[in-house]
Amino acid sequence: MFSGKKHLTTSWQIVRMAALLAVVISLTGTAAWAAQPAGEPIKIGLQAPLTGDYAYEGKGFEQSIKLLVDQTNETGGLLGRPVELIVEDDKGDPKEASLVADRLITAGVVAVIGGYNSTATEASSEIFNEAGLLQVTPSSTATRLTTKGYERFFRTCFLDDRQALFAATFMVETLGAKKIGLVHDNSTYAKGLADWTEKYLKDLGIEPTIFVINPDDQDFTPVLTAIKGAKLDAVYFTGYHAQGGLLLKQAGDIGLQVQWLMGNASNNPELITIAGLDRAKGTIVTTEPLPGDLPYPEAQKFIEDFTAAYGSPPASVWWVMAADAYAVIRHAIETVGSTDSEALAKYLHTEFKDFPGITGPILGFDEKGDRLGTIHKAYVIDDQGNFVVYGAEKAAEPTAEKQ
Amino acid sequence: MELFVQQLINGLTIGAFYALVALGYTMVYGVLKMINFAHGDLFMWGAYLGWVSLNFALAAFLQNSVFAIAPVVLFVLFTVGVMGVIIERVAYRPLRSAGRLAPIISALGVAFILESVARNAFGASYKVYPPQLLPAGGIGLVGDVRLNYVQIALFFASVMLMAGLYLFVQFTRVGTAMRAVSLDHDTSRLMGIDVNRIIALVFLIGPALGGIAGMMVGLYYGSFDFTLGWTFGLKAFIAAILGGIGNIPGAMIGGFVLGIVETLGAGYVSPQWKDVIAYVILIFILIVRPTGLLGERVAEKL
Repeated sequence: MFSGKKHLTTSWQIVRMAALLAVVISLTGTAAWAAQPAGEPIKIGLQAPLTGDYAYEGKGFEQSIKLLVDQTNETGGLLGRPVELIVEDDKGDPKEASLVADRLITAGVVAVIGGYNSTATEASSEIFNEAGLLQVTPSSTATRLTTKGYERFFRTCFLDDRQALFAATFMVETLGAKKIGLVHDNSTYAKGLADWTEKYLKDLGIEPTIFVINPDDQDFTPVLTAIKGAKLDAVYFTGYHAQGGLLLKQAGDIGLQVQWLMGNASNNPELITIAGLDRAKGTIVTTEPLPGDLPYPEAQKFIEDFTAAYGSPPASVWWVMAADAYAVIRHAIETVGSTDSEALAKYLHTEFKDFPGITGPILGFDEKGDRLGTIHKAYVIDDQGNFVVYGAEKAAEPTAEKQ
Repeated sequence: MELFVQQLINGLTIGAFYALVALGYTMVYGVLKMINFAHGDLFMWGAYLGWVSLNFALAAFLQNSVFAIAPVVLFVLFTVGVMGVIIERVAYRPLRSAGRLAPIISALGVAFILESVARNAFGASYKVYPPQLLPAGGIGLVGDVRLNYVQIALFFASVMLMAGLYLFVQFTRVGTAMRAVSLDHDTSRLMGIDVNRIIALVFLIGPALGGIAGMMVGLYYGSFDFTLGWTFGLKAFIAAILGGIGNIPGAMIGGFVLGIVETLGAGYVSPQWKDVIAYVILIFILIVRPTGLLGERVAEKL
């Protein structure tokens, strides 16, 4: 009864649609509720970069969430009411994000998904927090976002420390490495990942050796010689692919033989170009899985639906994270039976457990609103220079939270 | 011990590159008493021209062959050398009587131009030399220490270039003229030396050697980008001062000393601290010997 599509053929509906069209042209945006025959819609906001540098990701967000919103409305809506998605473009820019936040609040949304990049999310999260709204970001990984005590802020992506947890567990349990070296380039990102890996390795009883490179250098043979001297089982480089490639190449030059692992900043085919396939093959890269490598039935169904609707599968894992953000909000509203942000946030913090997410089981959220577990995967560079999943069945299991 | 030997080999390799580039600084200083700050960027252009022409040579007529390197080396020597001569003619010679500051600013300007043109022409991304061009493998020394054929080849190539230059400057008529010009332009002119031609020759040889060094760095370390000239050029400039600027054997020794000190610092302390270590030693050496390790006493000539 609440689905507009069932009534589209009636002449009354056509008249309404024509009227609606005029309203849309003159007012834009908020007129869409008129298409619903009954029930006050539940409005959910999407703050995403639809133009600018990140437009590619923002449009993917919109496609993913629209798909699920349509599915919700086709199957009877939410709490017996239709769901309406209100999309606002933040351009990836913090100033725009503030304006977007105000517009979404004025539009009367009950929850917000977004933004894409941490800078834009940070700007809007403050405003949504003051307005008392629930916000779920699919992709902003900056640690500080969840350190501000915003009780209604969540994310379906993982912080950098999740990758570290995965890498540490993988090296110790899957590879059986005992002597491990960590190499970083002192950038905020790479040092952070190395520091977290060190912490989790220590939790597993392993004291890693830390090496630091200067990314401006061309010559890494001194540090590689030191690594050679340390006789390690595995070395995890947390920096970027340009230096990663040089490390692999020059390691071969000085005859250093060790299992190399690299973080997701090295997840780039150029790594192989720089190192040469000979030197790059066998290197393991830890990263978020590609959408196609998500082994869960929810993921397979989502990818099928997405392909049917848009002609090609989702290209980025962040699009799937955005779908999960909507799924989490929908599930919370259904379970709590209300759209009250306070109640939804309380539920997500305390009772929400083991939800079958599209990006893998969502074990829950911690007190800061960060997603528990990890879905990172290990890819290995094969003889043809492709990144292929390393031991898929083993790596896909979400690792339980250590603490 | 094994590690120490390996680090020494690493240090000598990068030191050979520093020395080759340092020669360009020191030769120009010798004849003009001017620091050619564009030299590092000519070196970077050597890396780009080598990369472009090597890819062309491989695609056009020599499939993955070591012999492709020979014509490319000549091309890079010639082209970067000519670039040096043109820069001298256009940007330095008109300012030769304009005091000391103007040519330095002009040189910095040329450096920025060369860097920007390289970035705009070739793009800001890393360029990668074709792999497997140089023969892999090497000889094992004590224990686990390896000396690659490539290291041996590059080391000897640079030492031979430097030795050739030294013999040229010491034992040929043109070399003698070069040394005369470095002592006094006016007197040299009175002796019938074409000072402008000698200076042009210096600007042909110095950048040519720098350009070859750029190509060798690209071949040996694998990848480079347009900032190569700045980082490497500065180090080579320091090597030239360390050895005694204006002094050709000094530039070679300065290059090797800096390479080894840096490598040992990076290997035994940390790459983060290697520059600190290298510069502390540099400052110390300059306090004890203000004219560098083999420096001439410049004061006498002023």
